[in-house]
Amino acid sequence: MPLLASRRFSRRYIVASATAMAASLAVPALAAEPAADLISSTATEVIEAMKRTPPGAERAKVMERVLQTKFDLPLMGQFALGQYWSRATPQQQARFLRAAQSAEARAYSERFGQYAGQSLQVGRVVTRNGKYYVASTINQTNGQPIKLEWEVANTANGLRITDIKVEGVSMIQTRRADFTSFVQSHGGDVDALSSELEARATAAASAK
Amino acid sequence: MARLRRSGLAIALSGTVLAGCASGDTGATEPWDPIETPNRFIFAINRTVDMVAVRPAAVIYRDWVPERAQKGVRNMLDNLGEPVTAVNEVFQGDPGRAATTMARFLVNSTIGLAGLFDVAAMWGMKRTKEDAGITIGMWAGKGVEPENGGFYMVLPLVGPSNIRDATGLMIDYAVDPFQILPIAFNWSWWYTTPRFALNVIDYRSRTMFALDDLEKNSVDYYAALKSAYTQNRAELIRQKREKADTKAELERRDNLALVR
Repeated sequence: MPLLASRRFSRRYIVASATAMAASLAVPALAAEPAADLISSTATEVIEAMKRTPPGAERAKVMERVLQTKFDLPLMGQFALGQYWSRATPQQQARFLRAAQSAEARAYSERFGQYAGQSLQVGRVVTRNGKYYVASTINQTNGQPIKLEWEVANTANGLRITDIKVEGVSMIQTRRADFTSFVQSHGGDVDALSSELEARATAAASAK
Repeated sequence: MARLRRSGLAIALSGTVLAGCASGDTGATEPWDPIETPNRFIFAINRTVDMVAVRPAAVIYRDWVPERAQKGVRNMLDNLGEPVTAVNEVFQGDPGRAATTMARFLVNSTIGLAGLFDVAAMWGMKRTKEDAGITIGMWAGKGVEPENGGFYMVLPLVGPSNIRDATGLMIDYAVDPFQILPIAFNWSWWYTTPRFALNVIDYRSRTMFALDDLEKNSVDYYAALKSAYTQNRAELIRQKREKADTKAELERRDNLALVR
């Protein structure tokens, strides 16, 4: 009797500790999985959009929807305006966000129009300072693979992409240098930047 | 000799300049650009020359020269740059990689027909590219952020650079045997000029997509390029530093294990 009891106890103990170990291993992985899934689903959505829509205003619209649902655009826009965000009125801020959004959507749809037939491979996910960094590579048919690092953060609307680094060059850092330099050369006028972005969006739309 | 002494002076000078602006910034701030007006002026000239001469030549090269020939040209130019890479790898504390680079050079120069074919890569020796700007950035010390390369400079024809990378260019030029020999033997007109011209056109055709994209989608191309260049260089240096730190950390642990 005591032998049977001890065997049952030891088996339960082993199963329990094994489950606990598996759970502790799975928890960090589970936390990082949604971030990697977000990137994969974004890439799939973009590729589908490129296939379904012709290049032009329609494609830019689709890209804009992807940007709105997968990226945290208000946060990125705020960062990109740098010191001039806090100095702008709410109307100026809203106008800037709208203009920057459509400019980004147009830029991305043109960029991805060129990236035809390349595959995005999602790699490791690293957690740093509460944000997830997803490494990925784009395999080109001719040439070296391009390294992309996606920064994903938890926002009020769930997991959103907040930055992309192409070979170490951060998109929002470059945007920030670009926008702040422009605003500074126009005497701190944020509306001038918004007008410029809007003008470019309409110019591109009419060109197509 | 004189060239080496001059580059030694350049290193000393760059040391003081880097030390002077080692502010330990987080890298999120703008690259230091105190000579912005002359920089923008040279930038404008570079853009004009590019629009008129370099870009059209690069487009013709990219569209009309067969892919195999483009690859051959690139392999040959890369092969000429291997000695400089090997020297830099030694100074970065990676003699193993330097040995691989020299092996690549020897194999490609002989079996690969003066570098036309990258035979060494087929044998498993991957290509690496190092320059003195990265070496300086790697050893610049803990207080200097990788983004901090001294103040930003736009060089005529070469394009975006900074104190650290411009010094690096001078050092690389001084130690490059494929620059020393031609100058010693006066081969300039049929070697140096074609090599430089081919380098410019090949490099321009390879960077065309990224630069066109940046130019089209930025409201201030000068500022966007300045930021992108600084970040790219900082990333290369940061990778080197992390590797060195990891290596140092592993060595430290190995030594501790021996002691225990």
